[in-house]
Amino acid sequence: MEYKLFWGCTIPARIPFVENSARKVFKKIGLNYSDLEDTTCCPDPTGLPAVDQKTWLTLGARNLSLVNDYNNSTVISLCSGCVETLKTVNHILNVHGDKREEVNKYLTKIGKKFSGNVPVKHVGQLIYENLDEIKKYVVKPLKGFKVAVHYGCHFLRPSEIIEWDDPDNPKTLDEIVTALGGESIPYDNKLECCGCPVGKSDEELSNKITMQKLQGVADSGANCMLVVCPACFTHLDFKQKSLNKEMETQFDYPVFYLTELLALAMGFKPKDLGVRYHVVKAKKLLLELGFMD
Amino acid sequence: MTLKIDFGFRKQFKTYKFSLNYCYQCGTCSGGCPVAKLTNGDYNPRKIIEACILGLKEKLTTLLEPNVWQCSTCQKCVEYCPQGVELTEIFDHVKNLCVEAGNYPQAYKAQGEAIREKGSAIPMSNAIIKRRERLGLPVMKTASHSEIQTLLRETGFIKKMESI
Repeated sequence: MEYKLFWGCTIPARIPFVENSARKVFKKIGLNYSDLEDTTCCPDPTGLPAVDQKTWLTLGARNLSLVNDYNNSTVISLCSGCVETLKTVNHILNVHGDKREEVNKYLTKIGKKFSGNVPVKHVGQLIYENLDEIKKYVVKPLKGFKVAVHYGCHFLRPSEIIEWDDPDNPKTLDEIVTALGGESIPYDNKLECCGCPVGKSDEELSNKITMQKLQGVADSGANCMLVVCPACFTHLDFKQKSLNKEMETQFDYPVFYLTELLALAMGFKPKDLGVRYHVVKAKKLLLELGFMD
Repeated sequence: MTLKIDFGFRKQFKTYKFSLNYCYQCGTCSGGCPVAKLTNGDYNPRKIIEACILGLKEKLTTLLEPNVWQCSTCQKCVEYCPQGVELTEIFDHVKNLCVEAGNYPQAYKAQGEAIREKGSAIPMSNAIIKRRERLGLPVMKTASHSEIQTLLRETGFIKKMESI
């Protein structure tokens, strides 16, 4: 099985340290993968379909068509939004013949074709499915990490299309945290949105959603957060500072992407991962827990 | 004020998104909607679906009552709908019509422009390119400009972006 990595926009262009941690983890576990080249934006499931659904379907189908040539390969993405778009486009074009025909009419102009049924998987799923094997590489268990796991929306829903974990009572990420030696802390509003997508149209509303989320974390005794989506990452990491200023809160929770926590547990140094580029600094916590000298 | 029923809109909508016909207005969508809760029901997915069924185009796309742009796209309504109504997709269609009517938040246009020009929602900045080098990350090979332009001309996206 060969994996084709669909990197998307946000991770490479805003938080490349997450990409760095993933590449290190993949190399360590010997994952047979290569980058899916010549891609466009997935496109963003919370943005482009609102402007023009047809274009969203077409660009999504173009991205999937790049995998047609790679028999027996699975697309892997670190972004829940990319996974949602690619899976939904697959779904829509497989169910609606007329839309598939229309999209293929456009793709013909650039010599491409959507053939359907390209398997797409979130990296969180890949890790969970191989957890027993991956656990063998843990040399530094995440002792002392009290993790507020944030599943986000598109990692789970719509479950009919995403087909991963229980949308009402998910457990895969909590189990990964436990397997790495950390502790998953229950908190209020755990399954709520981070507030990112609606920020494009209503910042005040977006802030309210984020406040609720972070307040739940603050009341829980967690000392950090885990996310599996770059939109959730940037939003929850970037927003704490501005909310503290506006709302007089004192949020100070380092946010980690799943592969960052994995890399730390595998013994990679925060310095080599680029953890210093987080907005909410993780240094204090990592020093305290013995992950930094 | 009197609300006008747009029969063309109603017919087109019900054909385009057939699952709309299955809605029996139970309100499960609104009950589970985090935005409905935070706006004391001002934003209400059930009411948007109702207006679609009734053909109240002007109410939705001009008056923005309720404001479809307040949807957080969390997909809870889709998850919980007992009738399998594809709410988020239906809302996207309403938003497409809002865009055509010139009623949309600027951030959506900005993202559309970025995709039109570079094929990426977030183009690489020089600072990030340097940071990638420092982290030892490879240069990303993305889609060719001409290919994106051809495709976006075909779908009518370039024209749409110029007209809004």
